Amino acid sequence: MSTALSLHQSRKRKNGVMMALCVVAAGIGLAWLALILGALIYKGLSGVSLAVFTQMTPPPGDAGGLLNAIYGSIVMTIIGIVVGTPIGVLAGTYMAEYGRFSKLTTVVRFINDILLSAPSIIVGLFVYELMVRPMGHFSAIAGAVALSILVIPVVVRTTEDMLNLVPNALREAGTAIGAPRWVVIRSVAWRAAMSGIVTGILLAVARISGETAPLLFTALNNQFWSSNLNAPMASLPVTIFQFALSPYEEWQQLAWTGALIITLTVLGLSIFARSLTGRREDR
Amino acid sequence: MKPMLSTDLNVADTTVEKAKIEVKGLNFYYGQSKALKDINLSLPERSVTAFIGPSGCGKSTLLRVLNRIYELYPKQRADGQVLLDGKNILDRSQDLNLLRTKIGMVFQKPTPFPMSIYENIAFGVRLYERISKAEMDNRVESALKRAALWNEVKDKLNASGLSLSGGQQQRLCIARTVAVKPEVILLDEPASALDPLSTAKIEELIDELQADYTIVIVTHNMQQAARVSRQTAFMYLGELVEFDRTEKIFTSPREKRTQDYITGRFG
Repeated sequence: MSTALSLHQSRKRKNGVMMALCVVAAGIGLAWLALILGALIYKGLSGVSLAVFTQMTPPPGDAGGLLNAIYGSIVMTIIGIVVGTPIGVLAGTYMAEYGRFSKLTTVVRFINDILLSAPSIIVGLFVYELMVRPMGHFSAIAGAVALSILVIPVVVRTTEDMLNLVPNALREAGTAIGAPRWVVIRSVAWRAAMSGIVTGILLAVARISGETAPLLFTALNNQFWSSNLNAPMASLPVTIFQFALSPYEEWQQLAWTGALIITLTVLGLSIFARSLTGRREDR
Repeated sequence: MKPMLSTDLNVADTTVEKAKIEVKGLNFYYGQSKALKDINLSLPERSVTAFIGPSGCGKSTLLRVLNRIYELYPKQRADGQVLLDGKNILDRSQDLNLLRTKIGMVFQKPTPFPMSIYENIAFGVRLYERISKAEMDNRVESALKRAALWNEVKDKLNASGLSLSGGQQQRLCIARTVAVKPEVILLDEPASALDPLSTAKIEELIDELQADYTIVIVTHNMQQAARVSRQTAFMYLGELVEFDRTEKIFTSPREKRTQDYITGRFG
């Protein structure tokens, strides 16, 4: 009896130690996030004003805003998503539906995973060679293409994963009622996986809206207002990169504010994406 | 000595009733392994036939051949003949989607589509028919009434099919199948995931449906087979051991293996 009791005591102690280690590890992980958010809010919030959203990026030493950079980021992100999403969803659908048992799917999945983890600067260099050099100048459209290349693997992956979560019984049920394959995919499989696929797209938005490297080689930057897709265009990440490294205080302040805007946007999108998946699990 | 009565019924069975489905020399393969061995049987029209047998005996596989749903998966193939009204449905020229509108199927777990109750039923109808909204409303209502679900859902037809209870979902699946006006309904353990009350409802429903449809049910539950079916096929290790009138199978089977199974000596 006493040995059993001491065994129990020692297990309890080990459990306590392990639990403490886990809590510390989780705390360290979260601490960085809290520090980054804290620093951004502390330094960035004071710079937030109406001017940030209404004025152009200023020359050194002047006051100004980030309007052209915000506009550029939004435009290039939207084009990147609009171009990348259909390709990604269709490829993911092929892999999970038509090509579920084919060798090609295994190969595509492997290559897609490489693309998923490829450094984004490589994608920037690739589009530089593909578009910027032949065209002879930097352009917003080249930036959007670089972003769309980053969108594709994210969307392919989540689309495939989410469709694989749709139970086969549901596909069989659709088939058993006489629906052709494509109708089963469109009306049953896609619908069942919808919120997951949308989450994937939102995560892709979150990912590309913070990308700097691919834009440096493609869209470059623009000090002024430009809505010409065939010309260089400003974007928030590149502007932050440029302004943060500058010696001018106004520019540094704008960089902090821009960083805060991007972070809050991405955070908001992630929370929105989570709430979508969460609702799916509730059902 | 066999009682007179039973012989009379047997004769009536084989000579008078028209066979809806005839299976002749059917073999089925999962890749290299043979899951069904030379199956021969004939399913009479407008009656319930049960397939029983221990797990892995091939009863579900046989059911899945009848609407060729196995074609969804590569490496599964069948040879032999399955005649629906005398026409071989295993023929390459058979249009699979049309075949499946004639032979409906309900699965073990309820599988409502991720859409409203109304749409769950309209979906299948819309695939092959162009009908007006009013006609569709009637069609949905009559299908739901047929499946004894109308009174429970008539006020929430726009609610998600997933919001129903398990037993209601399964009746929704039956309604969906009935709505496309099939000739044959295949039921793959339709009540095994349901509570006793829902099971009783499903069985009652099967009893009513046999007036209009040829029904084939796979079941693990021997009492259920005894309750709902007119013919029972006992399968074991991919073979059809015995096929006869249900009361015959359960009271005086010819084969020892059947006897052993129904008395609970194995399986």
